[in-house]
Amino acid sequence: MKVGSRLSDPAECTLARLPILITFLLSCMLFSNVLYAQATPEAEPAAAEPTAEAVTTSEAVPESDTTEAVVTQTPEEKAAAKLADTLKKNKKCLNCHKRERTKLLEDGTELPLQVHRDDYLASAHGEVKCTSCHRAIGKRKHPSKKENISISSARDYSIEMNKSCKMCHRDEFKLYEKSVHAALVTQGSADAPVCTSCHSAHAIETMDEYRADTGFPCKSCHENIYVSYSESVHGRARTEGNTIRDTDIQSPICADCHEAHQIPALAIGDILRTACIECHGDITLEHSKWLPNAGTHLDIVSCAVCHAPFARQKFDLHLHDNTANAPVAQEGDQSLQEQLQAIAAEDGDLDPLETWKARGGFSQSGEPADISLRSRMEVMSGIAAHQIANKSFAVRTCDSCHESDSRESKRVTVSITQPDGRKQSFETDREILSSVGDINTISDFYALGGNKNKFLDYLVLLSFFGAVAGVAGHYTMGKLIAKDKKKELTDVNA
Amino acid sequence: MSTHDDTKESKEGWIKPRPPRMYVNPLPVRIWHWVNALGFILLILTGLQIRYADLYSLMSFETAVKTHNWIAFTVIGNYFIWLGFYLFTDNIKVYLPELDAKKFFDRAFRQILHYSYGIFRGRKGPHKVLPLDKFNALQSMTYQVVMLLIVPIQFVTGIMMWDVKRFEKPIAMLGGIENVDLAHMLIFIFFVGFIIAHSYMGALGHSRTAHFKEMFTGYKDEPQEDERTPRL
Repeated sequence: MKVGSRLSDPAECTLARLPILITFLLSCMLFSNVLYAQATPEAEPAAAEPTAEAVTTSEAVPESDTTEAVVTQTPEEKAAAKLADTLKKNKKCLNCHKRERTKLLEDGTELPLQVHRDDYLASAHGEVKCTSCHRAIGKRKHPSKKENISISSARDYSIEMNKSCKMCHRDEFKLYEKSVHAALVTQGSADAPVCTSCHSAHAIETMDEYRADTGFPCKSCHENIYVSYSESVHGRARTEGNTIRDTDIQSPICADCHEAHQIPALAIGDILRTACIECHGDITLEHSKWLPNAGTHLDIVSCAVCHAPFARQKFDLHLHDNTANAPVAQEGDQSLQEQLQAIAAEDGDLDPLETWKARGGFSQSGEPADISLRSRMEVMSGIAAHQIANKSFAVRTCDSCHESDSRESKRVTVSITQPDGRKQSFETDREILSSVGDINTISDFYALGGNKNKFLDYLVLLSFFGAVAGVAGHYTMGKLIAKDKKKELTDVNA
Repeated sequence: MSTHDDTKESKEGWIKPRPPRMYVNPLPVRIWHWVNALGFILLILTGLQIRYADLYSLMSFETAVKTHNWIAFTVIGNYFIWLGFYLFTDNIKVYLPELDAKKFFDRAFRQILHYSYGIFRGRKGPHKVLPLDKFNALQSMTYQVVMLLIVPIQFVTGIMMWDVKRFEKPIAMLGGIENVDLAHMLIFIFFVGFIIAHSYMGALGHSRTAHFKEMFTGYKDEPQEDERTPRL
């Protein structure tokens, strides 16, 4: 009744629709903004092109023609026209660059200038103008004998060309910039990959081409790792095309854990575990069915320690900055190991690590840094970390860690995060795990029976034998006194 | 009434006059004591297995940990039988501390003298056992500390190590898992000695088995009180 009467009132009716109207207007604005934002990156190079392309009068005319035609053309026609234009321009470039020509570089090597036409046209960039990437080379700017562009080396040119990828693939490039790969390039590594190292310069392939059976492109540098991966449960399941039960999720390839562009340092903290959990979501539940303290085990023990049963294991003590609550990152050129060795050479008696901490560690101000050792069980090598076996082969014997004998066979390393994000570890004295003085240094790490305090072992013996000796002493004393009493009585009787 | 019955029985010579009996250990206390005793022995054995897996292997590490946890929770539950019984009955008087320091130290000293000399001469202890005053000065001190301080600390540290993740914050407050384990270990070491000493002293009654029988039947069988037997 009330609703009906309200709707019948025209003024009230408009008022009631007002929110709907406002929402509609807002969403229109939002939608147009999104459209604009999507169009902008495309628009940038297009707007830049006329300046890059040497504008002659003959070329300027068709340019203006197309802009006028936009008004009447449908989007499809517009795209087709643009494509035809691109291909026409690319054809000009390819006409010369199909030939086997090279350019002499400053370092004396020759840079091949040949671009295979069919490969390029079939590639993901087949419809992209050559000058979109090679911005420095326009019609008027094309290097000639008069105006030569000097390039120091092929490597430098590849690094330089990375910037042009960023124009369109901004998000991927941002991730790449955070990666170990990019850090190594900045450090001047001659082998660390730039965009074209994986994607190739002119035969650019899409993600679908990265296949587990070939290992392309990671294998070209990480062959050992790829071999151990391909023999692992993951590699085999992928090549056989098996999927996780009841789903169409396939077994992971390199990029599924390492992320194609970001390549985080998986060996530090629990980034790797997060990667595992993405597919194996129920691991906490599955482990807590049988494993006491499952949560702690999953925090401290790297998955591969048990699931790569043939891998050698180590206790890794990672330097952790308690103030910043982050792994300590190395500063300066001198590696931590060198610094510690220098300290050890200076004064042999003191623990180099403690001395290093007391001198300020890596803290800028030189004040003693609040640094502790965060401990984890890890596998010895990256190769081992990829040898994940079938679940039925996983280690389920607790003794392999919780027994001091087993500890003897494991190495102990201290590690630090390098400036490029990778982990650097070096071996240390394994006594560090069981000495009384180190309780505060590694207070978060304790493997029952695995690293025990020798002092307490002696106390156990002392308590046992002390009590037994006390009992024996009391008993003997009683016998002696009783004998004495008897003798006393017989003496009196006599 | 009872006097009449006793006379009748003794006249006819069917039953010997019973020695006077005193009910000192009520049923809940006896249940608690023996469950606790068995629990402690098993906890010590499994605990040793956990810590010294390389020295002997009575069972696998996994079994040892799981058994240790199960027994531990039984013992913790059992503790509350003891606590509940004493909190809600008059028996709590047994544990009330002697607040007069002079009195306490005097009694403790006399008790030590008894244990180190008088006991060998067949003298009676300086403390006369009564149902609501059954502990001598040394016993009351030891048992108060053990039951109200040491045992609860052992439970708390044990529970923390049972689920390290869940008790992350309290463990961090105590300075890390190594410290928690240190406390647990020190108390374990104390109990290794305690159990040996406790069993030995259990055999120091008027006969070797007297105190053990008391702990099973609840009754203290006192030989005919001979007032001439000197104390201390």
